[in-house]
This record gives sequence, structure tokens and C-alpha cells, in this order.
Amino acid sequence: MFERYLHYAKVDLPAPDETAASARVRLAEKFPRTALRRMTHLGLLVGSVLEGVPLGPDDALVYATTFAESRALEDFLASFPAASPLLFQTSIHPGGVQQVQIGRQQPVGRLWPLAGRTRLVEQALLTALLEPAARVVLVGGEERGTWMIESGMASDRAFSFATVLTREAAGALGRVGFNPGNPVDEPCPSLDLFGSALLERSALAWQGAGGSWTLEWR
Amino acid sequence: MSTAVDQQPVGIEACDCLTPFGNAAATAVALLANRRALALTPVLGRDGGDLVPLALLGSMDETVAPRWLPALRGLATGIPAGKWGSPREPVVVTSSNFGVGSFYAYMRDHDVRHMAHGNPFACVELLRREFGWGEQVHIFSHACVTAHLGLAHAARLLHAGLADRVLVFSFDFVSPFVAGGFHSLKILNGMMPAPYAVRETGSIGLGDGAAYAVLSREAASYWIAAHAFYNEMFHFTSNQPDASGFSACAARIAATVGGRRIWVKGHGTGTLEAGRLEAEAFARQFPGAPLTGWKGSLGHTLGSCGLVELAITLAALRGGKIPGVVGGAAPTFTDTVALEPFASAGFDGGILTSNAFGGAHAAMLLTHV
Repeated sequence: MFERYLHYAKVDLPAPDETAASARVRLAEKFPRTALRRMTHLGLLVGSVLEGVPLGPDDALVYATTFAESRALEDFLASFPAASPLLFQTSIHPGGVQQVQIGRQQPVGRLWPLAGRTRLVEQALLTALLEPAARVVLVGGEERGTWMIESGMASDRAFSFATVLTREAAGALGRVGFNPGNPVDEPCPSLDLFGSALLERSALAWQGAGGSWTLEWR
Repeated sequence: MSTAVDQQPVGIEACDCLTPFGNAAATAVALLANRRALALTPVLGRDGGDLVPLALLGSMDETVAPRWLPALRGLATGIPAGKWGSPREPVVVTSSNFGVGSFYAYMRDHDVRHMAHGNPFACVELLRREFGWGEQVHIFSHACVTAHLGLAHAARLLHAGLADRVLVFSFDFVSPFVAGGFHSLKILNGMMPAPYAVRETGSIGLGDGAAYAVLSREAASYWIAAHAFYNEMFHFTSNQPDASGFSACAARIAATVGGRRIWVKGHGTGTLEAGRLEAEAFARQFPGAPLTGWKGSLGHTLGSCGLVELAITLAALRGGKIPGVVGGAAPTFTDTVALEPFASAGFDGGILTSNAFGGAHAAMLLTHV
């Protein structure tokens, strides 16, 4: 059995029409002013849920997003032939979480950015469970794209979530467990469903990666 | 065991790569002969632009069936048979760009078929179907240290008893998207890279690269004994000026070296400040250990570089000679920089490193019996 206990869970689910500009206003107090003006919507949302979660060189950070900086990607593509250096930097995975950590000047020992889709949640949790660091922060989310949504290459909604996972049961909000022994792959919860489970404190259970998964709350 | 470092040895059952010189053996031979694959090429392909050093497998203009697909098909023929993508034999795919060049092609041609495989998951889904892999395909994307993450994750799966073998598959092909991006940062310019050389202006090259490794805990001739990582989070495109990021990663991997006599394959893209910090940090941590790097010939193969250069290292070790810094020139940042090939005899370990945006550092210790 592999398990970790959840000691923090926060979700940011902005209004459907929120833009990066309006998020900058809503979340201004959470970021250094110099960093704020260059941050993407996903970066702002990730920073919002990581507020008050300081990370250090002994910690590990697992970052899960399927589409990453869709708006920066769309705008960078539109900047050709005079490619924008800023948009190039921010369009590169894992810019969403790096913007936050760089703005807050918080080095981190290991950063594991995942970019899958159908089994992304399972793989992010497995990555977290295999981490030897005493404290693992799992953060994820998406920003809403524009023209790329039509072809399924950008998210149609914005959200972010973060949870802190440790081996300490005392005082935990919940627990994630993986029990090896079942080779059947069932559908895995999507990233936004996982975020909803953190928000609503709802349980999840499925089979995958050779075992049984549970997310349960106290 | 310290949690600052991954010390979970895994054997390398198979490993090969693809560069413009061919497979790992052919690439090692070319590097030993001091040949450059880089050639000055319009930065936006058929859309023109400044000439910049690129090492390409054909034209970089994206096609509807992605240009990287036939090359990856060829590379994949060497992968040992297995139930790849099953829970006991998962696949870890690592890249920085995946199929993003297809998005640029869509913007240029307005052909919606290009949109089908630009995103990492869509690109990997194409590979999964192409190669008949199952659902257990893990996807990591951490720019130019990604391949190291894939190898370390594979070691963790094996040591946790969750897998019997793991296939790590990595690729990055240059497109106008990425060439234009690096050109906008001014570091991809008209000059050929000269890694670790003291000169007025820094420059990098970019190259196509792909590689795979099959890892297990079974006995093997070569082992990846340890991994170390560190993320500075100081700046997107520059490092802590006191080299503390390089030093932290070097110290972490040094803790695993023991009494081995080692050499170092550095990141060595050709940038000045990062090159100096890197060379000095490793010279301090490993006095006298020769420092080499091959991006002056192959260009920077981005997210695949860690695995491409591992495959080349293995081929070079089999031949008994390690290529020196191709494209390098005296004076160098430190006297440890190896401008000429050197014999592998007498060394019993190599440290292979990569770096990425955000001050990301990765290092692995390669040992052999």
C-alpha cells in the first residue's frame, strides 16, 4: 500500500468569463507587483492556490496540466514572424508554476511537471506517492483558451487546485492510497473532477496503473 | 537514504538514439571525428529569416503527418519487444515541444489537420496508437531536463516494485516555433556555438533528437546509479550569479559518487554565463574531472538531450573513447574542459547533466561493470 495524507486542499474556480487581466485585479495582493504584470491566467490561478504554501529545497512539487499556458501559446503563435520572447518563455511547460515560484523566489528540490490527459490524475498521484520528500505539493489546473478550444487543444474552463501531501496521519484532512494488485485500467478521474473532489471533499475510487486508488476524507 | 537524491540503481537493457548523424554508434563516431551536424539555416524554415545553426533530420517545415513520425518509427524498431504501456511495463514519454510545430504549421497553412497532434497528450496518443502501447504512458514535460525526470521516474517505478521494465522514450524536433522563440531571445544567432569557450558573444544551436532506454533491475553492463535535481526559481532565463544552483545539484550528485573516478558530460549549450557557472561549479566539485559536451555539434536537442546524450555516451564507452567538446576552442572557462577525445579507461563513472529554463538542474551518475 502506498499512501499519503492531505494536509491542505485549496481550489480556485474563477467566474467562467474571468480573463488574465481581471484575475490580476482579483489576485493582485497575492503576488509581487513586478511579477504580476507578466503572469498568465494559469500562473495566477496556480499562485492563488499555493499562497501560504512555502516551498523549499527539500520539498518536491508535482504539477499537472493538460493544456498549460494556452493563451500564451495562442498569442505567441500570433506574434510571428516577430516572435515575442516573453510569450515564448511563458508558453513553455511548466511556466505556470515556475512563474509563481520565481516571483516568490522559492527554490524547490524536485519539480515533476506532467502533461498527459486521460490518466493524468493517476500519474500525478503516483509521482507524488513515489516521492521520498517528506512534503510533496501537488498542484494543477488549466486556463481557458480561445480559438484552440474549437479543436480540443485548449481548456474551455479555468481552474486550479493544490494539496500538500505528507506521511503524517495526525490532523490530516484526508488520505490518498494506492493498493497494487489489479491490472485493469478503468477510466481515471479527469483533472477538473479531481479539483472538484478537493473542493467538495468528495471521495474518489478507481483502478489503474496496476492497482486500486482511493481518495477519502475525514 | 537522503531524500535529496535518488539512489535507486537501474540497469540499462537497451538504449539508442537518432540524430542527423544516425544512431548512437554513428553519432559517437562523428563526434570523435569532430564533425558538426549544425548548419546555418533560415530560422523560420521556408518562411525565411536569419540564418541560425540547426542540426536537422530533413526540412523543419512541418507536414500533415508530422515530420517526426517516420523518424520515430525507424528508431522504435530497435526497442526490445514487450507489453509496453501495460502496468508492469509502462512507458514514460518525455519531450519539451512534443508536436508544437504543428500549431505553427496550422497558423501558416490554415490546414486544420495540423491541429490534431500539437499538444503533448495528442502527440503521445498518436505515438501510442502507432506503436501499439497500452494506456500506461506517463508524460513529463520539464523543458530541457525532461529526459532526466523520465529516467528517474522509471527508476522509482522499478524500485517500488510497480514495474518489471520501463521504456523511456524521448524526442524533440526543431520547428519554426521553437527556433523563432530562441532567436527572439537573441541566443540563437548567426554564430556556431562554442561550448565553454571564453569569447565575446554566446550562441547556441538547436537540433533534432530522439532516443529510448529500456530500464530494469536486472544485471546489465551499464547502470544509472543515481539522479539529482535542483530548481533555482531565480529567473526564467538566467541562473543565480553565485552559481548556487549548479553547486547544489553538483553537490547532490557528488554525494553518490563514492570513490569512483568520474568524468562529466555537461549541458554546454554555448551560452556564456551559464557555461562559465557550470564549468566552474563542476571543476570545484570534481577537481580534475574532464568536462565534455556535444551540443556544439548536435545542437541542443531540448527535452530529449538527456537521453540522446546518454545513448551516445554508452556507444562511446563501448568504443573506449569519449568525444571531447565539439566546436569548443581555447581559452576555456576552466582547464578541465576536454577539447579532445579521451580514453574511458581509468574512469568508472560518468556524470551526465542537463539544465532548463527556470534554473532547473538535473544530473545522473552512470556506472559500468
